[in-house]
Formats: sequence, structure tokens, C-alpha cells
Amino acid sequence: MSIGLTQDTKPLRLYQAPAQVYDEVYTAGGDIRPHWSRVLQAYSQVPQAEFARRNAQADRLLRENGVNFHSFTDQASAARPWKLDLLPLVITSTEWSGVEDGLAQRARLLNAIIRDLYGPQTLIKERHLPAEVVFANPEFLRPFFNLRPSELNPLFLYAAELARSAQGTWWVMADRTEAPAGPGFALENRIITSRTIPSSFKQIHVERLASFFVHLQNSLRRRATRALESPRTVLLTQGPNHRYYFEDVYLARYLGYTLVEGGDLAVRNDCVFMKTLSGLLPVDIVLCRCSESGLDPLELGGSASHGVPGLLHAARCGNVAMANTPGCGIMGAPIFMAFLPTICERWFGEKLKIPSIATWWCGDPENLRLVQSRAEELVIKPAFQKSGGEEIIVSDLSKADRDQLLGRIAAQPYLWVAQEKMARSGVPVWSETGVRCGHVAVRAFLVEDEAEYRLMPGGLIRVAPDAGPMQLSVSAGDGSKDLWVLAKGRVDKVTLLAPGDQPAELRRTSALFPSRVADNLFWLGRSLDRCDFLSRIIRSLADRLLGEGSTEMTEIRFLARVLVEQGQLEPGFVVDGLESQLPSLAEALPAAVYDKSEVGGLTSAISELTRLSSLVRDWMSPDTWQRVHLTAEAFNVSASQEWIDLTDVVTSTSQLIGNLASVSGLIADGMNRGPSWRFLELGRCIERAGATAKLLLSAELRSGVSTPALLKTLIEVLDVQMTYRFRYRDQLQRNAVLDLAITDETNPRSLVFQIERLVSHVDRLPGAENRPLRSEDMRIVMQCAHAVRMLTAEDLAAAVPRNVVAALKAIEEGTTALSNTLTRKYLVHSGTPRQITDFSGGTP
Amino acid sequence: MKYRVMHKTSYFGHQAVSIGHNQAWLEPREVPSQQVESFVLKISPEPSIRSRQNDYFGNPVTLFSFNEGYQSLSVTATSFVTITPPLAARSGDVLEASPPWEEVVAMAKAHTDPESLHAYEFVFASPRVRWSAEMLEYVRPTFVPGRPILEAVDELTRRIHTDFVYDPRATTVTTPVADVFRMKRGVCQDFAHMQIALLRALGIPARYVSGYLRTYPPEGKPRLVGADASHAWLSVFCGPRGWADVDPTNNKFTTIDHICLAWGRDYSDVPPLTGVFIGGGQHRLTVEVDVLPIG
Repeated sequence: MSIGLTQDTKPLRLYQAPAQVYDEVYTAGGDIRPHWSRVLQAYSQVPQAEFARRNAQADRLLRENGVNFHSFTDQASAARPWKLDLLPLVITSTEWSGVEDGLAQRARLLNAIIRDLYGPQTLIKERHLPAEVVFANPEFLRPFFNLRPSELNPLFLYAAELARSAQGTWWVMADRTEAPAGPGFALENRIITSRTIPSSFKQIHVERLASFFVHLQNSLRRRATRALESPRTVLLTQGPNHRYYFEDVYLARYLGYTLVEGGDLAVRNDCVFMKTLSGLLPVDIVLCRCSESGLDPLELGGSASHGVPGLLHAARCGNVAMANTPGCGIMGAPIFMAFLPTICERWFGEKLKIPSIATWWCGDPENLRLVQSRAEELVIKPAFQKSGGEEIIVSDLSKADRDQLLGRIAAQPYLWVAQEKMARSGVPVWSETGVRCGHVAVRAFLVEDEAEYRLMPGGLIRVAPDAGPMQLSVSAGDGSKDLWVLAKGRVDKVTLLAPGDQPAELRRTSALFPSRVADNLFWLGRSLDRCDFLSRIIRSLADRLLGEGSTEMTEIRFLARVLVEQGQLEPGFVVDGLESQLPSLAEALPAAVYDKSEVGGLTSAISELTRLSSLVRDWMSPDTWQRVHLTAEAFNVSASQEWIDLTDVVTSTSQLIGNLASVSGLIADGMNRGPSWRFLELGRCIERAGATAKLLLSAELRSGVSTPALLKTLIEVLDVQMTYRFRYRDQLQRNAVLDLAITDETNPRSLVFQIERLVSHVDRLPGAENRPLRSEDMRIVMQCAHAVRMLTAEDLAAAVPRNVVAALKAIEEGTTALSNTLTRKYLVHSGTPRQITDFSGGTP
Repeated sequence: MKYRVMHKTSYFGHQAVSIGHNQAWLEPREVPSQQVESFVLKISPEPSIRSRQNDYFGNPVTLFSFNEGYQSLSVTATSFVTITPPLAARSGDVLEASPPWEEVVAMAKAHTDPESLHAYEFVFASPRVRWSAEMLEYVRPTFVPGRPILEAVDELTRRIHTDFVYDPRATTVTTPVADVFRMKRGVCQDFAHMQIALLRALGIPARYVSGYLRTYPPEGKPRLVGADASHAWLSVFCGPRGWADVDPTNNKFTTIDHICLAWGRDYSDVPPLTGVFIGGGQHRLTVEVDVLPIG
């Protein structure tokens, strides 16, 4: 079905907005506002089914990108994907430049206030602001006092939360001044919308977002305190447990900055450095995407994951630039909104161009009376809390709660503000059941560049089903939309790439490789291989438990023992009398495989895999991350079925093995052979060599014990059936299996293959080139290589293969030792910072 | 009165500390009743970098850090100060002559002059000082309407000294004031926080003072070197009269025996020595203070 524009003048009515709100699309008379006509026309040309398909595609792309607001490390609270509606919100460039003008004025005003509060405090002395904004404000952090007094504009990145009143004018609902979240989400919404929106929309000229990020990069570069061609910039994140980590990763990658956590940085002689595999490298600019209050555990206390002891003093000394300058965050509190108009007139001699939502500070007795008498119509907020926090809609409260709240306000009125409720404007929101009316909140972003504030020609749109107050956090609301600022003419293409006439300096390495990343990649490599190994064993065992007749108990006992050793099964299953336990083993296996609480189990191995890959997301190709994400998702879907039997185990482990192989393929094909790849490979080879050696040791290779059935299981688990069959047909001989598993350098799963790769990786580790003698790690891998290389054909064929067992033991121990040595040498980059406090009690 | 004050903090770790960043509020600040003749901060091993600045409250603070590891660290502050007797003697006349406490509260609230504006900062809850309805109930009987502020403060100081037991084992450096109020036990730091909370509950500005107290050896015994300790008390805003320092631990207004280091809203603004370090395993921290009168 297609909704066509009717030929007569009666406009297309997609939805009905409530009477009391401003309608973005239709005038009061029911006519389409001119700037919407092209969008509605484009929409009407698309059959509903096609639009639905495109929307679903956008949803899928978002999910694959892993856009979500939950911690990546917590599998239990399955991530809610960010819903994106392909119908954009359209605004004319004339209107948007008015918004830019107004918000730029506001940003300048906020800067002036920040500099004053953390400096001379004349606003308080001259009573333009109540002294409480500093003295009673827990967010006023005294270590920021006079931190960078000469800095022109401490507020580098600023976001304003906008809503349109019933009269059609814009109002600021909240200010975001401490690392505002959202520019990355806006960018992602744009990229996905333009990729999936039907072609009929593509004729509409829309302003591009890239220009905003170019301003951001240029401005940030200019903030460097030393004159440098290319200052080193890092993006300081609160880490993977923080809900906007995804955006940090996304922005770091888009802007080309190294993503760091607090532990990646160190302060020496009041200068900031990054800890890398090749030593400390100076850092010039820190783009802070974290809360100010945790920046420096020395001066601010706490133990935030983004904290760097000594960072503030380094900034104070002018040795590092931080953006936003610490101290900006205070302006996010709603109390300031009550005073901005007066300060603006006083300082700039002009009116506030875009008003704030009406705000009353209860510390003023007259306001308090007003708030007490009109409470039902108002929203109450803690005066000093940065936006996004507690928000109380009084009319929603019970009588008792309302009285309690008013009691709290009366006790300490200066801690509260009240704000008017505002009905947000209506926009069309597409859904499968048709277009309905949604209500929008717009987050607009500004960046300072050469003392001017530039508004992003776009923004983050959140939509809620009703018009009332919406929580201010970006994760609130039903879904999101792209914001289209209609261009006046053709749009110039701006990209973040350097201009074409300037050849780049060619490089082979990126020096900025934090030790923490090497550590995570190393364990990611181990985890990838561990998942593969475990699923192969589980599949073989499940297969045999399903199969009838031909299966021998030795195979089942062997596989069960390996799983017990891996911590996947209860030890009870390896004792004698396994035959009688078969039914219970058939029941226990599926349960153990999907048991989340089993530490050594497959399910936890997979969540470890997801956790580690989310930690190093910015070091993998987006395709690889997506594949890991989907692999885990597919496995978890099969794990959440109600009835799980052995057939499900076989199916889902087979699927898992296939998915893991495609992850490996993406890594092998796409990952640059730099240090990141090398550490991942080191992890994989160590894990595979160790596990293979262990597996062979468990197989009790003595004659008589290693039956053909057991050998068949071995070649199956080691994934060498094909080669074996080509070489030896169906004759299962122990020495041939051992050769394939241990000494065949053409088999990528053999032990010798892993060891040779380890030798070559260890040889190329940083610092290896200048050492006169072999390093400890090198000695260990050479010992392993020696053990394998010295095996003879007779050793492999011996009735009691002592030398083989000795070599396997050497490898088993060697891989553990190598892992420990590498960790000590390259990967342990810091301990946890601790506080010392001294107080000796006192004099009685 | 002239003093030489030595304050030595020694740190010993079982394993070497890899790096460390520190801040010290060990330099006495200049106040009308106290002149600082000299101050030397000796740090061993020599830190990689050190600098001195004034904090938000105007206290001198020294920052120092180490790039190289160390196993033991000692920080020794030596100051020579001269104290002139403060004006507030504890005589009935002076106490009665002070303004009614409500007047002080109103002055701070209005903060129309620079001194009351400054005082107003010390009316609000701070990281270590918050209060409850029970505390307000405790303090009310002393602060009856119209009572001269110094007289009431004097009584409150006496009550804390009587009702609270000095007990170094009862609290740690992080014990909240609510626990101190419940247990009625603590050390000078806790008592200072306690009285500050009680005064702020009424709207009276009160600030935390970190410093030292000269101790007198028992009759006939020699003075023990290094047996003194860090001390803490509070300053109360008394309106036009300025600030009065009281010491609830010893039930007295401060005298020429009190040497002031720094002030802030509470302990967390002015700890004598703080630091963040990495590594070090188990560690031991000892503090020796010696307050020597030199004439």
C-alpha cells in the first residue's frame, strides 16, 4: 500500500498532534509547513512495506554496531538497542542559524560565569548570583579554583537540551557542560539513516555533520600548550563499564584519537604521558569524556577508573590541555537557569536570545512561597545536580509523597529549584501500525573554534510518546531520529581526511599502543581459542552421547575427563562405572554448557570473549567486533531456549565453531600486522599449544589404551580429519595421528606450528632488537621448539611414548611460563593507586 | 611566644612504591596572631619535582612527586613561629559583650560585607560535616534566644568536653560525624567536626583548623621530644567581633599554646599530608611532632 499525495490541495494528514502542542509538520490551519513538503512527498512515494523493511534494516545496523546504553561487560542486562526512526525531523537552515546565534550567546555567557566562579567570584560579591551556588554546591570543586585563569573559553564542547513551546519558539531545558554525551550518537544516526533511507529522500539537500567535527579537531589542536605540528591527543574514557563507552569508542575512532583510561596515563614532572609498550610518550591534549570529580585522585580523592594522580597540577602548570577545562561541569545545574537573563543583560547588555525554561530557585523566600502554592504544576529538581539526575513531577506524587517533598524543600530551600512543565512539540513517528505523533527533545551540540561557537548542523533527537517532561539523559525516551537541517543550496562535501594536495608522512606503526590494550588483546586471543577448543570437545561428546552402538566408552570417558579438567563438568563423571552414568551425563552436559555460573564453562568463556573484545573495540575492525557480538548473541539465543537437549548442544556448538572461524578469518585477513595483531596472536598460539598438549596428555597414549576410536576422537577434536583421510585413508595409526598433531609443520593446528609462530612473534616484540643475549621469553619458546623438534619417528611410534610425553609436558609448562613472563614484562602496566592519609590522633 | 615545630612523617613500605604524588598542608599560614619566621620542608628521598602554591582557602600547600620508586619516605616540616596572645580571654565580660547568636546567623545569611560573605562559606554541609535533627536537639538548650554567641559557644565547648570521651581507638580518620555523635567518643579531629556540625546546624559559620598544641610535661618530669601530636580545633564566626578559636578537646579558647597550620571547611580540605601511590604492599606510617618553646 502506498500513501500518495492527493491531487487536490488537501494536504496529506499523517497523524494528529494534541491541540496544546506545537506541530512540527502542520500549521494550525492544517497546511503542511513548506520545509516539510519534500520529506512528506518522498515518504509518500515509498510503499509501506518497503519503508518497514528499511526501518528494520536500520534497526539491524544499529544492533550490529552495538549501540546500546548498557555495560558491555554485563551480559545479564541484555542491551536495549537504540531505536531509530527513519523519518527525520526537518528544520530550515534559517531557523537553525537562529538557534546557533542564540546558543552561541548562551555558551559565551556560561564561559564567563565559569571563569568568574572559579576565579574572582564577582558575581557573588555583586549579588548577581546567590552565594549558595558556590558555598552550598557539592559540585563546586575547590581544586579547580584558578586552574587555568588565562584560558579564553573553558567550555570547549557544550550541549543544550531544547524543546519547542506551543508558540513555536525554542527553549533551553537544560545545559550540558561536563563532557556532553551524544555527538557520536547523532553522527551514527546520520550515517545509518543515510545508508538505509529510501532513495526518494536522497534528493533533499541536508547539511552534513562532518564540518562540526572538523571544527572540533582544529580547535582541540589549537588548545595544545606547546607549539606543535601534530600534538598528541587522547580521549579519556570512564571505561567499558560506563554507559556511554560505546560513544567514546565511536568518537575516538572517528576523530583519530587514542582511547585511554586513567591507568593508561601517568604524570611525571608535572607532564602527562601515555604508557605504551615502547615506554612513556608525552600527551599534549586530553579530551575528557568523563566526570570531572574523578579526574585526579590526588586532589579530588576517589578512585575513578579515569583518574590520573597529578593530572590537575599538570594542567595548572600549563603542560597539558584538557577539554572541557575542569570546572565547566558546574553549569549543568538547573539553579543557574534562574539567573542567566539578569547576568546576560548585565554583562553583555543584551537579552538572552533563547530563553530557558522558567526556573525558580527556592532559596529566595518569594520563590519558595510561589513554588509551595503552585507545586502541582511544576517539576522539582535538586538545585545543584547536573542535568540528567533526579526530576520530580509533583502532580505524579501521592499526597504523602508530595507533603514529604514540600517538607524537605522547606527545611533546606536553597537545595531546590522548580521548573515549569512544558509540552513538547509533535512530530510524525513511523511505526508498523502507522504514523503516530511523538514528542521531541533536541540535543544541540556546540564546539568552540577560535573564540566562536559552532552549532552542529544536526543533533540528537529523542522521541517520547507523550508531551510531558522527558528525562534528560540521552538514554531516556522511546527512540531517536536524525535531525535534518535543510541546506539552502548544494552541500559541500567535508571529510575528516587531510586535503588531497598534502601527502601524508608514511608510517608503518602507530606509536600510541597502550600496554593495557596489548594486555586485553593477548587475553582476547586466548579466549578466542579457548571457546573454539571447548566447543569442539563438547560437540564431540554430545555427538557420541547421541549416537548409538558404535561408540566406545573410552571415547566418552576421555572427552568427559577433558571437560572435567577444563572445569566444564562435575568431577563425578570420570569415576568408574561411567556406563551407568550415561543418562545423567546426557542430561548434565546441556545444563553445564549453558550454565552461566560455571566459571570454566563455555558460556562464561563466551561472555569473557565479548567482554575482552568490547575492551579493545577500537583496535579491531568494525566487522570483527560485529562478528564477535553476533557470535555471542547467537549462542545466547540458543542458550535461552527452555528445553535444551543434546541435539541443541550439537547444533549450537557447530554454529559457534563456524562463527568463531569467521572471526578468525576477519582477524587474519584484515588486522594490520602491528603490535596489536602480534599480542592477539601470541595469546592464541599460547592457548592452542597449551590446550593441545594437555589434550594429548589426557589421551594416555600408551598402546592398548589408544584405541582407533580414541584416535578418531582426537583427530576430530583437533580438526584434522580431512588431512588424515587423504594421507592414510581409514587406517588409524597412533604414530600418524601424533605426527599430525605434534610434529607436522604443514598442519596449522599442530603443536610445532604454534611454537614456530610463537618464536617469530617473541622475536619481534618491542625491545628484542637491542638485547645482547636471549630474553627470558625467547629462551622459553626456544625450549618448547627444541622439545618438539627433537622428536623422532621412533619416539612417535614407541609402545610407551616417553619422549612424546616429556615433550608435551615441556610445552604445557612452557606455555604457562611464557604467558606469565609476557604478562610481567609487557602487560602489567600499573597497580591500583592507593591513598595515604596521615593523622596521628591528637593532643588530649 | 616563639616556637620551633617539627613534624616528621615516616612511611615505610614492605615493597618499593613505584611512583607517588603528594600534597602537604604542613606550612603554618600567616594570621594576625601568628608570624611565620621560617619554614623548611625536608623530603627524603628528594622528590623528582615539588612546588608550592596557595589553595582555595589561602593556605600554603606543597605538592611533590616521585618518578623513581622508594621504599621509605620521610617528610619533615620545621617551622619557627611567633604567637601573640589572641584577644579572646575566657572572662565573663568578654563573653557577655559578644552579640546574640541570632544576630551572627542573620549577618551571615545577609552577607552584605566581605567578612560575612567569607564566613557564609562555612555555614553549609561539607564532605566530613553534616548534621541531623538529633544534633540540633542536642545544641538547642545551649543556644537559647538572645544569648551572647561567645557565652553559648563557651558552654557548648564545655559540654562536648564533658559528654564526649577522648578515645583514639574509637574512630579513624574517616569516621563520620554521625557515628561520633552516637558513640560520644573520638579524638580532637572528631570533636572539632562535632562542634562545627552543631554550630552549622544553627546557621553559625564555623571552620576547621589544623595545627599543633604545646604540651606541658607532668610536674617534675622532663619534656619529651617528639611526644606531641597534630591537633585540630575550630574557628567560630562571631559577627563584628571576627572569629574566635575554640578547642573542644581541651575545653578552652585557643591561647598562645596553639599553632595554626591551615583552615578549611573540614579535615578533608587541609589534611597534613596526603598522597596517592602505586605499589608498596603493606606499609607503616608513623608521625612524630615536637613543639619546642624557644622563648
